[in-house]
Amino acid sequence: MAKRKKSDKKKRPIAVTVIAVAIVVLFLIRLYQVFEPLIRNQVFKYGITAPLFAGWKLTALGSALLSSSTYLVLSLAGILVLIGFLRLRRWSWVLLMAWTGASLVISLVDYFYSRPNYAVMASNVIIAFALNITDVQRIFGIRRDDDPGL
Amino acid sequence: MIPVSDRPTVPVTASDLELLRQFEPVVAYTKGEQFFPTDVEHYVSECSLWEHHPDGRDELLVRQGELTMEKLVESRPADFGSVRYLRFIETLSLAESAQVLADQLLLRRKLGNYFHTGIGRLARGGILPRLLDGLFSLSFLLRGKVSAATAAAAELDYNSMFTEDRQYTCYGRVTRQNGWTILQYWFFFCFNSWRSGFHGVNDHESDWEMASVYLYEQEGQLIPEWTAYASHDFKGDDLRRRWDDHQELKIEEQSHPVIFAGAGSHASYFRGGEYQAEVNLPLPGWFSGLIHTWNKVWTETLGQPAINSFHIPFVDFARGNGLRIGPGQPQTWSPVLIDESTPWASQYRGLWGLFARDPISGENAPAGPMYNRDGSPRGSWYDPLGFAGLDKVPPPPQMLQMLADNCGKVSQRQEELEELIPKKATELQAKGARLKGMEGNPHLAKQYAVLEKEINTLSAEVRNLRREVSENIALLQGLTRRLERMKAGGQDDPRLHIRHLAEPDDPTQVLRFDRAAETWAAISLSLLMFAFAALIFFTPRYIWAGLVIILILFVVAESFLRGAFVHTVGRITLILAMITLLILLFHFWKWIIVAALVAMGISLMYHRLRELTG
Repeated sequence: MAKRKKSDKKKRPIAVTVIAVAIVVLFLIRLYQVFEPLIRNQVFKYGITAPLFAGWKLTALGSALLSSSTYLVLSLAGILVLIGFLRLRRWSWVLLMAWTGASLVISLVDYFYSRPNYAVMASNVIIAFALNITDVQRIFGIRRDDDPGL
Repeated sequence: MIPVSDRPTVPVTASDLELLRQFEPVVAYTKGEQFFPTDVEHYVSECSLWEHHPDGRDELLVRQGELTMEKLVESRPADFGSVRYLRFIETLSLAESAQVLADQLLLRRKLGNYFHTGIGRLARGGILPRLLDGLFSLSFLLRGKVSAATAAAAELDYNSMFTEDRQYTCYGRVTRQNGWTILQYWFFFCFNSWRSGFHGVNDHESDWEMASVYLYEQEGQLIPEWTAYASHDFKGDDLRRRWDDHQELKIEEQSHPVIFAGAGSHASYFRGGEYQAEVNLPLPGWFSGLIHTWNKVWTETLGQPAINSFHIPFVDFARGNGLRIGPGQPQTWSPVLIDESTPWASQYRGLWGLFARDPISGENAPAGPMYNRDGSPRGSWYDPLGFAGLDKVPPPPQMLQMLADNCGKVSQRQEELEELIPKKATELQAKGARLKGMEGNPHLAKQYAVLEKEINTLSAEVRNLRREVSENIALLQGLTRRLERMKAGGQDDPRLHIRHLAEPDDPTQVLRFDRAAETWAAISLSLLMFAFAALIFFTPRYIWAGLVIILILFVVAESFLRGAFVHTVGRITLILAMITLLILLFHFWKWIIVAALVAMGISLMYHRLRELTG
């Protein structure tokens, strides 16, 4: 019987799949956060009818547009990262870690200003810890076998 | 490795002074060094003598100009808690301070003795150590310190003293302990100008430094085996180098070890270069415990390298590109023998310079070679072997004999065990047979229990003896192998005993964009302050969130310049994730416990059912 040829492809650890699922969940949540302020301010119905600034300060509509666009950037970055991540690219690990870090900062700020989003917080925690797993770091070339730690 | 026969030797009959001269070190200072080893008598004659009383009062005992070595050691009763000290520089008025600072500039210009920092110490540490450094500098407002004018006046006075008496004094001591002959070289400086002259940790009046050479006797000759230099942050084994370790220890003219002295600090190093010295902040016990727990989780659970952010990096510049003093150099030593009978060494227990009232002692002058600041005996004087971790190391000729003795003892024990074990084993078997004979006889229950206990004890004894035999075989193999190697002239790796090796920095590897990183290091702390100020002024509502975000941005920017972006982002995210996890645990602990129990239940059920179904 002929021996089965070993695949040259890197085996994807289960944590990578978990992270990918978490990114999709986060993407959906962020997508909701993109549209929610716009719907609340009836931007889709009437367009941008009020001014965005009152002097040096943002109006409610300005604030909604700012938060919407921030979440849009985060969502799009999430998709980009997801593609790179599933293809096991080093840059995607770095970008995802930075993205998760930024997302955690925003979640914590939201939490301390009484706007907690526990689902986002939990997803970020899972991603951060999963990215720190040795096997995941090795497969993305972040940690070499001779490294004692990160 | 240099064979022992190539080492310099001195007959055991040589006088102490001859011995000291044969191995006296060459000390290489850094360009810009302001103070060199001088003689204590001249220094004392320039000082006044004081007593600091426990009630905070300072009493003048002997006026400047009237102090002699005899008066220094005069017996004077003092209260518990009082501190006796010398004072090299008297209190300066504002006008005098301005004058000495101006004169110091003129003197340096005249001597052309300038120091260039190069890449600064601040660029070598991260932003958090820099923040702590700022706090450390501010701590001088609360702690006692030696002023810049005092440092300038000391430099001027030292130079005028040196003009009168152009010699470099080295105090030598010869002592013999446990087969070793120990040569100690003590160097006295009028002032330690590490902080004011070289951006270091502290300044203090007077400074004592020491280097030792350890010799052993063989065939009527004394042969050098080890050298040890006193240095910051290191102790015991880490202080010494073997004579044949020429990667670490430089030797001039075959018998003179080279010391690279830290600029201003005068700490001794084996290799020339710039050393990062770290000052750990004195943290309260509970906080240290917290940091310890955090580091345990951080390193063991999360697999990250340990972080010690609560230290401040300082650079000790031991470049060795300045004046060199010693045999074969343009400047040589004037040696003076000292021992316990030297009155100023043994009878004066006070400080050799200003008592700056610094509670953590960094700015207080040191005591003499025999004593610590509190007047207790100094370890390096009364236990020179223990000081360099040599108390457990026999001299090489004794080592052979000791190894042979050890081999003999172990072999003898093995012979004893070979006789003893069969006897005990037979006894055990006999008792076992007797026990079997008692079974099924209820009237022998009491005797059975006693015998069973005896058997258990004997069994444990036999097991221990057999283990001892096995351990002795391994021990004997090790001892024999070592004995054979040593008989053949083989030696251990000369650095096997070192746990923490002092290595000079390689600044080129620390920073990615030298100039940018250095500039950033110089201005980042101020920028951070400006950013905090702007935050307080413009967005007071988001002050805490803003503070954290700004700090993170600064750390990330710093990591980019250091080429550590990936690692830093990873660490920051992990810390944020841990904080978030704690928040989630706080809010959802019930749900988390329920989910964990359900998951464990499912897993257990799955495994049991699999076991059941094969």
